[in-house]
Amino acid sequence: MSETIRVEVAAELSAFTPIRLVLGGLGTRLEFSVEQLEDLYLATEHLFRAVVRAEELARFGVEMRLDDGALWFSAGPFTSRALREEIEPAASEGDCLDLCRLLHTTCDEVQVAESDGAYRVVLVKGRRPPA
Amino acid sequence: MAHDDRRPNDPLDLEALPGQRRVLDEDEDGGVGEPRKPDTKGRGRDESDKLDQYLLRRYHLYGDRKAREQLITMYLPLVRSLARRYASRGEHFDDLVQVGAIGLIKAIDRFDLERGVELTTYATPNIVGEIKRYFRDKGWSVRVPRGLQELNIRLNKVIDELVPKLQRSPTIQELAEAASATPEEVLEALETSQAYNSVSLQASPNGEGGEEDAGLIDYLGSDEEAYDTMEDRTTLAPGFAKLDKRERYILHLRFFEGLTQSQIAERVGISQMHVSRLIRRSLEKLREEIGDVDNPDPSLLARRGE
Repeated sequence: MSETIRVEVAAELSAFTPIRLVLGGLGTRLEFSVEQLEDLYLATEHLFRAVVRAEELARFGVEMRLDDGALWFSAGPFTSRALREEIEPAASEGDCLDLCRLLHTTCDEVQVAESDGAYRVVLVKGRRPPA
Repeated sequence: MAHDDRRPNDPLDLEALPGQRRVLDEDEDGGVGEPRKPDTKGRGRDESDKLDQYLLRRYHLYGDRKAREQLITMYLPLVRSLARRYASRGEHFDDLVQVGAIGLIKAIDRFDLERGVELTTYATPNIVGEIKRYFRDKGWSVRVPRGLQELNIRLNKVIDELVPKLQRSPTIQELAEAASATPEEVLEALETSQAYNSVSLQASPNGEGGEEDAGLIDYLGSDEEAYDTMEDRTTLAPGFAKLDKRERYILHLRFFEGLTQSQIAERVGISQMHVSRLIRRSLEKLREEIGDVDNPDPSLLARRGE
C-alpha cells in the first residue's frame, strides 16, 4: 500500500517542526524504532537547513510517502549547484563530517532525482530491520 | 564582613577544635531523621553536630568565611549522594552536583542558629529542592506541560529497560505499551526532549586538564584506548576542537565507524537517549562553530585539520 503526503513549506527553519510531526506519525506506522526516528529527524533537519542556506527560495515542496515498508522523503525542486554538491557523494571529502556523510549514515538511501531541469533530494529510511 | 576574632583560649578557635577537617562520607546522605553513622575518623554524631554548630556559629556570629568554606567542603559528599539519585534523568552528574552545592550554600547561609535543628536536616531539602528546581526550570528551555515532562522522564527509563531486553531500540508502539500511554503521547513526549537540555553546565569544552575532565574520562570508562586511536585519524578541525572528548568520540563512532546509537550507548556506558542528546548537541555546537566567520565553508560540519 502506498500513501503520500505532499506539502509546500516556507524555506525557513521554523517550517521544519510540522514536518517532524508528520515524519513521527508515518515512522510510527512503519514501526520505526526510536533510534530510526531520531536518524530520520536528524537527516531531514540537516537537509532542511542546507536547503534554507543554499537555495534562494521562498517555499519548496516536501513529499512523504510510505511504500514497500520504507518511508520516502523527497524535497524540491531545487536548482542550486551548491546544495547538490553538498549531497552527492563525489562532493564529499574523505574524512569530513559533512551533510553527505550525515545523510548516508542516517538513511538507507540518498538520491538526487532529476526533474525538469531541476532536481529533488530523496531520502529513504526503513528498508533494513532495526539494528 | 569576614574577620578573624580568634584569640588565645577563644572557645571558637578553629585550631583548638579536634576534628575540624572532618568530611562527610558519601553514604552519609543525611536523610532527614536518619541516624548518622560515625565518620571514618571515628567521630560520632554528637561530635559531628558539635563541629557543625561550632562552624555555623563562627560563620554567622563572626563572619568567618573559612568556617563557611569548611562547612561546604564537609557537606559536598552529601550533595554528591543526593545528586546521584537524580543522575539517571539525563543530566550530567557534575552539573547536578554544582546545582546541589548552590542549595547547600543557601542552607548554610540561611541557617538559623536559634532553631536547634541539625544542618543536615535543614540542608537536605534545600539541596534536593535546588536540584528539582533545576530540572523543572532550567532543563526545559521551552515551557513543556508537566505531564509531558513526566512522561518524557518515564520514557527515558523505559527505553533504558527495553534496549537490553529487546537488544535493539524499541518502537513507539512498544514504548507506548510499556509506559501506559498512546503512541501519539509518546511521540509528543519525545518531541519535548527537543526543548530539554538545550542549556547544559557541562564540563569544559576543550577536554583538557582540570578535575572536571578527569571525571569525564572516568565516565567514559574503559574506552580511552579506542578514543586515542580515534584522535589520530579523525577530524580535529575547527568544529571538532570545540567539542569535548566524549562528544568527539561519540560522533566518530556514529558517523565514521557507523555504530548505531544503541551500540554507542553500550560501548560508552550511557543510555541510548543520552547518546541521542549528545549527538544532537554536538552537531549544534559544530553548526555554531562552522557558522563562525573564520570558517569559509559552511557546508562542512567538520573536517580534518589543516
